[in-house]
Amino acid sequence: MEADELLVLVAGGDQKAFEELYGLVSGPVFGLVRRVVRDPAQSEEVAQEVLLELWRSAPRFDPGRGSALSWILTLAHRRAVDRVRSARAAGERERREARRALHPAFDHVAEEVEAGLEREWVRRCLDRLTALQRQSVTLAYYDGYTYREVAERLSLPLGTVKTRMRDGLTRLRECLGGVA
Amino acid sequence: MSIFSRLRSGDLHSLAAPYALDALEPDERRRFEKHLKGCDRCAGEVRALSEDAVRLAWSTTALAPPGLRDRVLTAVRTMPQDPSPAQDAPRARAPHLPPHVWGAAPPPPRARAPRMRPLFAPFATATAAAALVVAALFAVQATHTQDRLAAERAQAREIAHVLAAPDARATSDRDADGRGIGVVASASEGRAVVTLSGLGALPSGRVHQLWLMRPNVQPRSLGLFSGDAPLVASGLGKSATSLAVTVEPDGGSAQPTGQPVVQLALQSVGFGQ
Repeated sequence: MEADELLVLVAGGDQKAFEELYGLVSGPVFGLVRRVVRDPAQSEEVAQEVLLELWRSAPRFDPGRGSALSWILTLAHRRAVDRVRSARAAGERERREARRALHPAFDHVAEEVEAGLEREWVRRCLDRLTALQRQSVTLAYYDGYTYREVAERLSLPLGTVKTRMRDGLTRLRECLGGVA
Repeated sequence: MSIFSRLRSGDLHSLAAPYALDALEPDERRRFEKHLKGCDRCAGEVRALSEDAVRLAWSTTALAPPGLRDRVLTAVRTMPQDPSPAQDAPRARAPHLPPHVWGAAPPPPRARAPRMRPLFAPFATATAAAALVVAALFAVQATHTQDRLAAERAQAREIAHVLAAPDARATSDRDADGRGIGVVASASEGRAVVTLSGLGALPSGRVHQLWLMRPNVQPRSLGLFSGDAPLVASGLGKSATSLAVTVEPDGGSAQPTGQPVVQLALQSVGFGQ
């Protein structure tokens, strides 16, 4: 069954359907959270929160407003970004990154699983953006920076960053359209 | 529309892409979402940009750690779900604690119910118990790390929601050994915030599980307590007569496996009729 059908069943409290939905979305959810949060233990914690929130808030899903997978990944992304920002604010991130540099094994294993057609497509399409479009989009989406922080890091005016983000996303849509 | 407001809405509009990428600060996010509600033109665009952003997630799929599956699937066995927005909308409330919960102001006028049931404790005398529940909540928040705050804020909103109900009432009980249970419940919402005290530490691999007791019906699980945090129980029908807490293996049980460690009748908070 597709994620959309399953989510409707989950909204009615169907635990079997949730189990099946878990099989479909746990990889994408965990992968996205890990990409943003980086720290393995924290990523697992956030992914768990997201998957439990998925169960709790399934009745709030409105199929008229987009696909189930989109809704789930949007939820996962928001929670991951919230986490990485509070960690950053607490100055913990630098310490974790230093630790991670000493233990790269986890990332290596995960990267291997990622290899796939979709990954290649996204990479290829990201390559077609201008450098500023690409950096604006990836610093925000993959690294969890706000557009103000992105502007600061790239030494660009706020308005320019907003435009680059919009143009970057639109071009990505055109490039990925064929495989959507 | 004045030039000023046109500029402002144009400015807000340019936040669609950063919003789709989750790249707004919380204040801006809220302002933009407010703007979205009144802007039909924006809704379609934001949806499209959000779908684009989600495509960036395609490239990140990874195998979830094996232990995660068991933990998640076990937890949902006892975890209640949110009501759907259709059921929820008419009783949406501000997520702050109303003064009457703190005892600083008289309870809001309640049309009929209290006059018809003079035997029940008026809210003012139950306020001390409510304050205990709230104090427990904030004590827990203060001791946890920043990382937990987001999850706890979500719970705080749920709790505030129960406390803000016009018919919210509190009751508590403590046995000779000092084991206590406190409840703030709203019969109209069918929800209750439950706190435990004096139960001592559990051996590892055991949890406190909350049960709804009704006449002639098997107990129904209302969820598992996590540490000192209050538990928000929902779906309490008018026939609910009491709450009970038992000690169960990690992940909870389908039915209680032992004697209750604490119990509390719900009659004084508007149930059991």
